[in-house]
Amino acid sequence: MNDVSRGAQHVVSRLMRESLMDKALIAGTEAPVRAILPGLNVIQIGGMSIMDRGRAAVLPLLEEIVQNQEWHTQVIGVGPGVRARHILSVGLDLGLPTGALATLAAKSAAQNAYMVSCLLASHGFVYLEAPFIVQLLPAMLAAARGAVFNGIPPYDLWEHPPALGKIPPHGSDAGSYLVAEVFGARSLILVKDVDGLYTADPKTSPQAEFIPEIRAADLLSLGLATLPLEPAVLHLLLRAKLAKSLRIVNGLTPGTLTRALAGEPVGTLIRVD
Amino acid sequence: MPDATDNAVLTELGRRLVGGSLSDAALQRATEATGDFAILPWVNVVKIGGQSIMDRGRSAVMPVVDEIVANLPRHKMILATGAGTRARHVYSLAIDLGLPIGVLTVLGTAVAWQNAQLLQYLLARHGIAFIEPEGFASLPHYLMERGAVICQGMPPYKLWEENPELGRIPPQRTDTGCFLIAEVFGARKMIYVKDEEGLYTADPKKDPAATHVARISVRDLLARDLHDLVVERAVLELMLNARHIREIQFVNGLKPGQLSAALDGEPVGTIIYNDAAPTRAAA
Repeated sequence: MNDVSRGAQHVVSRLMRESLMDKALIAGTEAPVRAILPGLNVIQIGGMSIMDRGRAAVLPLLEEIVQNQEWHTQVIGVGPGVRARHILSVGLDLGLPTGALATLAAKSAAQNAYMVSCLLASHGFVYLEAPFIVQLLPAMLAAARGAVFNGIPPYDLWEHPPALGKIPPHGSDAGSYLVAEVFGARSLILVKDVDGLYTADPKTSPQAEFIPEIRAADLLSLGLATLPLEPAVLHLLLRAKLAKSLRIVNGLTPGTLTRALAGEPVGTLIRVD
Repeated sequence: MPDATDNAVLTELGRRLVGGSLSDAALQRATEATGDFAILPWVNVVKIGGQSIMDRGRSAVMPVVDEIVANLPRHKMILATGAGTRARHVYSLAIDLGLPIGVLTVLGTAVAWQNAQLLQYLLARHGIAFIEPEGFASLPHYLMERGAVICQGMPPYKLWEENPELGRIPPQRTDTGCFLIAEVFGARKMIYVKDEEGLYTADPKKDPAATHVARISVRDLLARDLHDLVVERAVLELMLNARHIREIQFVNGLKPGQLSAALDGEPVGTIIYNDAAPTRAAA
């Protein structure tokens, strides 16, 4: 195994000695991906849209999650909400970089996730930080009856500087999407305070039209000024191996989450193809 | 719940952030004009290659270690390691087993971590500590006290790594992780220590006609759309958006003195630079 001619000690593999930056080599690695937890449903609870509204919005939604516990394996991602906006504002004013802002904002989502886990604790849900999602999620789902996680991905100081401005591009929608993708989840449901996707913001434009189903590429080409989800998620969807669709539903309307879990066409379905 | 958005202590931008959608391009543009505070403007991020240096063992690693030690009195360094041949083995195995990109990232991180540990054993007698991503808040203290710290180079994305456009290899590996460390701290330099002088027109290990490139703009390099690169493509794409790091340097760790020269600001190896005003300036 010792390659005398080059001096490096190699382990024999298909990728041995090759440049991992080589396009042909990268293309040659294309192969099917196995779903690790195909029964999983990833439910993302919005920060500003649900959590910041307090008990009136949160408790009925959690009650609905509990009612579905018998039929569906649910892991709950939670967004940060208005406290993240506030610390972004202070951090930006101080000139802090995007990676520092991401680390700060993630703590606000961790608070919300922890609160949700406390409210669901008596039903066997556990709160898992990122390292425990990596190590313990399957065991926790076998032993416990659900899990709650911080929707914001653990990019922290390593968050990407965005093309425009300084706001961290990977929020809790992106983080929840990536959890659904890596485990090959059965569904990803983003719970917001709107019925789904509209051609304009229904809160300000009365002529906004509802979109029940759309391809991610078509949605991107529409170039809508604001979206009810992070644009980063649409780009992630275009590269999906397993999580090839997601649904946006209104968490303020009782029964919507239940219908989405049952596979009914509520809210807006955004799909790859 | 009371309306949390009515707060007179917020800046004007703050009021827009609290009330608006973060995906609104107008709001994102408004954050462009905020200042950029460099957190550690005197630190140098030095990446020690995995396959190019660490896998070679003593003959390549010890001279690099000696050069790092010689520079401790003059330059503060975050030393981060690449992964290398064991990562290639575990990536092939995991791809064969049908495992997703996030799992490959977790596996690759373990290899970079092993290399960081190896390096730390060699530098321990100089008081150099190893820190995990979770310990980065202590990093300024170690840098002030001992002049350097060691970390593994992978970004801590774990299962949350994004799929690449093509193929199954994690697109953001140790080159990217190190670049993002340099960018977030507003570092003085980002130096990649590999086993070549830097960038060539083709892989010099395979093509004898390959010629050396001393200096190239990131836009030119991306426009060339080369089949192979000296650095992860993600780094070049992130350079276009970076607010602090305007250039990155590649040196040959097998040639004594190149790392020192780069730390001293000399134009050895290859420099990839971004001289164009960021696209944001036009907004």
